[in-house]
Amino acid sequence: MSNRPANLARIVVVATMGLLFAAPVAYLVLVSFAKHWTFPHLFPPQVSAELWQTIWGREQGLASSVAASIFLSVVVAVGSTLVGFVAARYVSYHRWRRGLLFLSYIPFVMSPVVLGACVHVIFLRLGLVGSTAGVIVAQMMFALGFAVIFFASFWNAERKALGEAARMLGATTLQTYRRVLLPISRQPLLLCFLQTFLFSWFQYGLTVLIGGGTVKTLPVLVYLYTGEANIYYAAAASLLLMIPPLVLLWGNRAITLRFG
Amino acid sequence: MLSRSNLDRAGFLLFLILAILPMAASLAYAAGYSVGLVGLLSEGFTWQYWARPFQEGNQIFASFVFSLLVAGAATAITLAIALLLVLAARRSLDNGLLAHLSTIPLALPGTVLAFLVLQWFSGSGIAARIAYALGLLQTPAQFPGIVHDQYGVGIIIAQVIVGVPFFALLFAQLWHNQRIRQLMELAQTIGAGRRQRVAWVAIPLLLHGAFPTVILHLVAVIGVYEVPLLLGAQSPQMISVLTMQKYGMFDLQQKPEAFICAILYTLLSLSLIAVAWRRMKHEQSPR
Amino acid sequence: MILTVQDICKRFGQQTVLQGVTLSVAERRTLSILGRSGCGKTTLLKIIAGLVKPDSGAVRLHGTEIGQQLPEARNVVYLYQEPLLFPHLTVLENVAFGLRVRRASASEIASRTGRMLEHLGMESHAKKFPHQLSGGQKQRVAFGRAIIITPNVLLLDEPFSSLDPETRATMQQLFKQLAQEYGIASLFVTHDLKEAILMGDSIGYMADGTLTTFANRQEFINHPDYGATKEMEFWSSLRQQTTTEEYAASV
Repeated sequence: MSNRPANLARIVVVATMGLLFAAPVAYLVLVSFAKHWTFPHLFPPQVSAELWQTIWGREQGLASSVAASIFLSVVVAVGSTLVGFVAARYVSYHRWRRGLLFLSYIPFVMSPVVLGACVHVIFLRLGLVGSTAGVIVAQMMFALGFAVIFFASFWNAERKALGEAARMLGATTLQTYRRVLLPISRQPLLLCFLQTFLFSWFQYGLTVLIGGGTVKTLPVLVYLYTGEANIYYAAAASLLLMIPPLVLLWGNRAITLRFG
Repeated sequence: MLSRSNLDRAGFLLFLILAILPMAASLAYAAGYSVGLVGLLSEGFTWQYWARPFQEGNQIFASFVFSLLVAGAATAITLAIALLLVLAARRSLDNGLLAHLSTIPLALPGTVLAFLVLQWFSGSGIAARIAYALGLLQTPAQFPGIVHDQYGVGIIIAQVIVGVPFFALLFAQLWHNQRIRQLMELAQTIGAGRRQRVAWVAIPLLLHGAFPTVILHLVAVIGVYEVPLLLGAQSPQMISVLTMQKYGMFDLQQKPEAFICAILYTLLSLSLIAVAWRRMKHEQSPR
Repeated sequence: MILTVQDICKRFGQQTVLQGVTLSVAERRTLSILGRSGCGKTTLLKIIAGLVKPDSGAVRLHGTEIGQQLPEARNVVYLYQEPLLFPHLTVLENVAFGLRVRRASASEIASRTGRMLEHLGMESHAKKFPHQLSGGQKQRVAFGRAIIITPNVLLLDEPFSSLDPETRATMQQLFKQLAQEYGIASLFVTHDLKEAILMGDSIGYMADGTLTTFANRQEFINHPDYGATKEMEFWSSLRQQTTTEEYAASV
């Protein structure tokens, strides 16, 4: 067949890219089980599960970091998803819809640390620096921008009309949300939750800036270990940091394929 | 009226209070600080700090040029690889091996990404060990310095790693939404060859559809922090790193410059967002 | 009069959509309004339903001004051009929606929705979801969902325009029956001359934001400006022509 070379090239491309995409996880797993893996060894000279047994110890702070990260990200994601859902509905009916949406893009794309440096003063005055609450509020600032943009496109003419139909049939605002708007929005609510969760889960700069070193989430720990050149601990913390996003993204993709 | 539901209004107020107002207030504070109106150094209105970025050899100017170049190079390389990938392996991206594996780089936080690039491309990293095994070098020092380098190669590599799967998936999605397959078949019936169909139909349509996202991606890369913090050189620095450094210094003279950085960066981002904004679809709300 | 609308004006920015519209609908009666798309019909209906606020003018139900009432308090239902069913609810639950939010008892809901589904000829589809229905079936459910709460006024915005001619004729019949049975007053907006005449007890003509109403069908039909006479002349001339041709052929 004439297109056999083309098919071969295709297989090579898929295989190469697949390997490259999978490399980060494969490498991190390898490092977390390796010992004395230094130049010029291509593969670990010694393998052991010792690290995974000792790392949970108190002085490493890994367990408490995982807990802090989960707590922070869940609060930020739930808060910004719910507020964003309702706020976006208001924005979508507003006569300044476009202007308000443009404003939402500012926290959405801009560097959290640059804006964070400017907001730092306000947080200092409010006594929010160095506290978990402060980090949550700071991260919400940015996650909300995303949530509003996300839901603004969700509130199209048809979804707005469904809300109106419910009201005309006698439903109050709360009934409209409970019986119509929330049930028809399960999918987007979940998606927005996942996205804002990941934003918070990944955040390093803002957490350090506002948390002032007292809020030690997983990314902060990875940075500390990397700085200490403790590659084995850094790899283990990195893996822990990547598991939830991987699970969520794989689940998420299944969701989009099923309903998209 | 329906739009005036109190619940919706409360949500919007929270959005204003938690996001828009602090942002606006802090930028106003930054502006005030940069002209000497507020802050510990405040001695009344002055333009003296604003003159600094435009002086010979100032870090701020160099940092903006560097950030733009790094972001531009990273985005261009990312788009090129993602286009190749979607043209060569679309089916795999839709529902095959790559569809699943491409989520791995997307799950990489900045800190982990930087750690990986450091481990792979530093003098004693994996790439150097492969070169050693192949007999291309004898000591780590012989490996070309592509992390902590003044051209930002390490930063570019890191951004390409996360950018490629993102844009490959976006292109694969656009391929269906923009009916590119049908349009290419149409071009074929008019007499366009395979190369022509790719060059004149597929690539322009993909880039056109992705344009707003490309611009937003560019803005995001200009502002990255964790990656250059671990992989960047002492000078020049990416904007976020420089801003944080100047902000955190004990030398109070540096603080106004941090705010000037922030304001210039905001203006740059806003103008880029405005460019993307004009090409986005905005559904007009029906009355 | 169950519904009176007085001197409604509405502008969107520079554009005047309604200019002093006045109308009234009597109990158990249908007023059909004929007009091209973009003449302000939809805005008028949405103002009556409380979805849009007028710049000036009054809307009264049973003589009481309702301008400040929320849509859910008016008991006025606006039916969209596309049958807008709740996608997450079954046919049965869509019809029952208005009763559920009014916290009707389970037995009452069961008996009333059961009866309504029977009227609609949809008993066998009760458990289906909207995406499993045809366009005509969806519109039936939308009617049932609205009529079951016996609204003061039902507002219909080109409800049949997306249906094929045959289904359309059936639906026109069905609507008349239901309105009769449940004693519903309604405002029926359409751009179809025949439909306007067929559905309305009285008729209005709307253009450029102003409304002209006619006390009865005959007055509207006889008026030279609105095309009814012309239409009849066209059909009768066509018939004459064919009879002449047939005659010629037979000779």
